[in-house]
Amino acid sequence: MRFEESKIGKVFVAKVLESRISADVAPRFKEDIINYVTKGNRTLVLDLSEVTFIDSSGLGALIASLKVIGNDGELMLCGVRDSVASMFKLTRMNKVFRMFPSPEEAAAATL
Amino acid sequence: MKILLVDDDPVARRIHSMILQMQGHDVLEASDGEVAWKFVEEGQCSFVVSDWIMPNLAGVDLCRKIRSANLERYVYVILCTSKGEKSDLIEGMDAGADDFLVKPISPEELRVKVRAGERVLSLQQGLADKNRELAGINNRLQSAHKLIEDDLKAAAWMQQRLLPPPALEAHGVKCEWRFQPSGYVAGDIFNFFAMDEHQVGFYLLDVSGHGVPAAMLSVTLSMMMSPDATHGSPLKRHDRHTGEFDVMSPGDAIRELNRRFQSKDDRYFTMVYGLLDTRSSTLRVAQAGHPGPLLIKKDGESRILGTGGMPVGLWPELEFDCFEAAIDPGDRLLLYSDGVTECMNAQGEAFGEDRLLTCLGSWATRPLDAMLGGLLMEIRKWRGTAEFGDDVSLLAIEIA
Repeated sequence: MRFEESKIGKVFVAKVLESRISADVAPRFKEDIINYVTKGNRTLVLDLSEVTFIDSSGLGALIASLKVIGNDGELMLCGVRDSVASMFKLTRMNKVFRMFPSPEEAAAATL
Repeated sequence: MKILLVDDDPVARRIHSMILQMQGHDVLEASDGEVAWKFVEEGQCSFVVSDWIMPNLAGVDLCRKIRSANLERYVYVILCTSKGEKSDLIEGMDAGADDFLVKPISPEELRVKVRAGERVLSLQQGLADKNRELAGINNRLQSAHKLIEDDLKAAAWMQQRLLPPPALEAHGVKCEWRFQPSGYVAGDIFNFFAMDEHQVGFYLLDVSGHGVPAAMLSVTLSMMMSPDATHGSPLKRHDRHTGEFDVMSPGDAIRELNRRFQSKDDRYFTMVYGLLDTRSSTLRVAQAGHPGPLLIKKDGESRILGTGGMPVGLWPELEFDCFEAAIDPGDRLLLYSDGVTECMNAQGEAFGEDRLLTCLGSWATRPLDAMLGGLLMEIRKWRGTAEFGDDVSLLAIEIA
């Protein structure tokens, strides 16, 4: 998976540079997210503004990452496009993940 | 190296044979092309040093014969000529000679030319061995592939047998369906059945991911989601006081399924499960992360029911909402998998809910089976290719 990494204050932001998160990349996606957190980035903001499609395996990978992180940290999402947001809404994942319009707003919410 | 030396002149043959033996080679001698050809044909030798002009079969003709024969291994041919004319070289190369020696032959030239030939033969042999090895691997791969394909076909057949028979009817409710797995087997599965004396149950579920792991779970779920309560179906509950099996509400049934299917990997499934009471004409539906069913009124007007819900298998102890809708005679309900709404065309654009509603418009008043056929045709047209990226399932019911 390709990510663009940045920091806003102490908050680590990983922007996903793929347009699709589907079965072929889902295992790697999950591994990468967990790596970010185990490397000490307790609060991780995942910027999904480039992502236009997430399939069931992609969603599975996001949820699995969330489960692995558990209470050790937090996984937040930002920049979710309408096409992806409707799937989050259908599966009620908008209640499971904290979602923000921009990485700055996500970072501000951690304070 | 074993070398076949061909010369009709016994003196020249003797000298050249001695030189070759001194250089460490085994020498097989032949007095003309005919004799030499026998040795080559029998596979006795794959390195030939031949004189050009001989009775019976000349060197260049021996060379042609070797090249046109379908021999198992490559035969390296050096032609010897005393003429040394350019036209001879061209004729010799045309006949397939690998190299030439000019008489009188110098021992040193013979040594290096034989060594060059040995290198070619050894490379050629290496290639032949590699090819044989690859052919063997290819054969094994083909049999393995055939075995897997046969297994998948058998699994697909078993999975399709779990689907309801066509034109099924229960308590006056008709059911038709379409099923297009993206591979041999699918993560989608659905069913329709009489639940008790006046209720029918139906569901459509979609296991996350693809292929055999998803299909194994979908088959397991299909076997479990049975109206027959004697095998511990999550759809019914035993009432200790009456001794009867009560039909559980769709929300409770899915909560029970969720309790049983807490997956250790990232797998989960989405589903719509509905119960239709034919006496009271009420529909109860639980929607677990699955696209909402379409209610198609008798006049063809259609709308999407439900707003969503958590998928099944992610966290234990979840509650699943259940909504109700009033149903009139002639109304239809369409359940579908996200393989329909997320079906991408060549430009990467999804089919989507709006297009589903629009496409349905012209087919909604046709007979149930024709409606599904028409809708699937529209989805295929949108897709543009024969293969779907995800399973496409459609299950429709019609209330009498």
